[in-house]
Amino acid sequence: MSISSFFTEKNNSRYIQKMDIQAIRSRSQLEENLRKWFKEHSYLEVSTPLLSPWLIPEPTIANFATNYVSDMRKGSELYLVPSPEIFMKVLLKELKQSIYQISKCFRNKEQIGAHHNPEFTMLEYYTIDADEQDSIAITEQLLKETALPQTPEYARPPFIRMSVAEACREYASIDLESLQSVSSIRAKAKELSLTVPGEKESWEDTFHRIFLTFVEPNLPKDHPVVLTDYPSQIRCLAKEGENKIYRKRWELYIKGIEIANCYDEQIEQEAVRTYMEEEYALLVSERARTGEVIPDIDYSFASMFDETYPRSSGVAVGLDRLLMVQLGRTSLRDLILFRLSDMMDAGHIGIQ
Amino acid sequence: MIKAGQIEKGTALLIKGQPFICVEREFVNPGKGSAFVRLKLKSPATGQVLRETMKTQDNAEDITVDDRDCQYLYNDSENFHLMFTETYEQIEVPLAAFPDYQYFMKEGETYRVTFWENQVLDIMIPPKVLFEVAEAEEAIKGDTVTGATKNVTTETGLVVRVPIFIKQGEKILVNTETKEYLERVNK
Repeated sequence: MSISSFFTEKNNSRYIQKMDIQAIRSRSQLEENLRKWFKEHSYLEVSTPLLSPWLIPEPTIANFATNYVSDMRKGSELYLVPSPEIFMKVLLKELKQSIYQISKCFRNKEQIGAHHNPEFTMLEYYTIDADEQDSIAITEQLLKETALPQTPEYARPPFIRMSVAEACREYASIDLESLQSVSSIRAKAKELSLTVPGEKESWEDTFHRIFLTFVEPNLPKDHPVVLTDYPSQIRCLAKEGENKIYRKRWELYIKGIEIANCYDEQIEQEAVRTYMEEEYALLVSERARTGEVIPDIDYSFASMFDETYPRSSGVAVGLDRLLMVQLGRTSLRDLILFRLSDMMDAGHIGIQ
Repeated sequence: MIKAGQIEKGTALLIKGQPFICVEREFVNPGKGSAFVRLKLKSPATGQVLRETMKTQDNAEDITVDDRDCQYLYNDSENFHLMFTETYEQIEVPLAAFPDYQYFMKEGETYRVTFWENQVLDIMIPPKVLFEVAEAEEAIKGDTVTGATKNVTTETGLVVRVPIFIKQGEKILVNTETKEYLERVNK
């Protein structure tokens, strides 16, 4: 236990002075524009829990855990959701209607920096009877019609479309299709003078070394870029393409910053179950080693994907980052109020 | 060994047997992927710039360095001549290893210098430096456009874009990272 002095007059006035009132108003305006747009396009706004007794296993996302205590019933470990996906997918089946939500998400171990914060705002929308290609057009229209008036040209549609393989050819001079094995992509990374650790690493980690060094920093910055067809080896709940090499998935980049992620959602029960089992096994083995939070999971989540489950495409937009690019900023610094780092770094008085 | 996630600007690393200094660091965490850190590293020996992307969990070989105070004596357009303030011993450092540093360092001033096994890894230049304007173009008469600028040259030979009111002999504060004029200093 310690006593902090964050709200003392000195700290508080310094903090309030730094608050960017324009940014607070702009966020309110952007959310209002979005809600109006979704209403006009017949999406239902939903609200789902932030605290959950189970999560969808994702080994690369560290979790926050807390405890429910009660005098009346048995206590339980609960997790802050890293995305509203688990609950929104249940609602999608019940409602069989396009839905959206603006909610908080929590990812532990995130750096508190220009583009990251452990708590952030997500806009997530699922469109019924749509695939990831439809979602590109929907998102293009959404951003065109809801952008704040001061949005710079580089953050406005139209989107530049490019597949991951095309981007790799253009910016890293590599042919991704010929690098499907761990050994071949590893050899290519070394040929590109990258340091690859001695121990075996996954295909996707080596891919990310190449992608983050040569491709992502060189993506066009004069207009938003949609990168489509991500390698199948990056496992997620997006359907595989016909050739099985790629998944039906895209990411939106604005000025080189990842803004949104979209799937043609996997709705095959067996595929969802296999994903959960394999990813959970990986998560447990890694976190048993590091001592990080191992969330509980509920495999019955997979069982709801039966023949009545509607086809849909889901898009998750980092709303803080979208606000950042629309305001022409390069950092989330003044856009996330009461930043954790500021509060945690506030002078501790200590108990005297 | 340190974890790549702990590397900071200024951290000295040994990569493929060569010492490098981290000059830029950026965290990148792909939505579907491990956490990475994108590094820009500079070799003090050759000036070579290396871009590395490492998982924050990767091990990196950090090296223990010594910081010592050195007085900058002069440069002979091939080497900087520095002198340890404690021992008066003199050393030479190739200009090529620290491009443009001759424009920021002032003869006679003392700088903190980072050494690794007798090799100079880094010379710390303050983020803001006060210079005297050695040469200034005359402002063009009648040019009253707000924000009009001109070039001046400092006593170290650095060319800086400044507002037109700056005159020869005046002192200006310059951001050494961006080479941008900050303000006129009247003392």
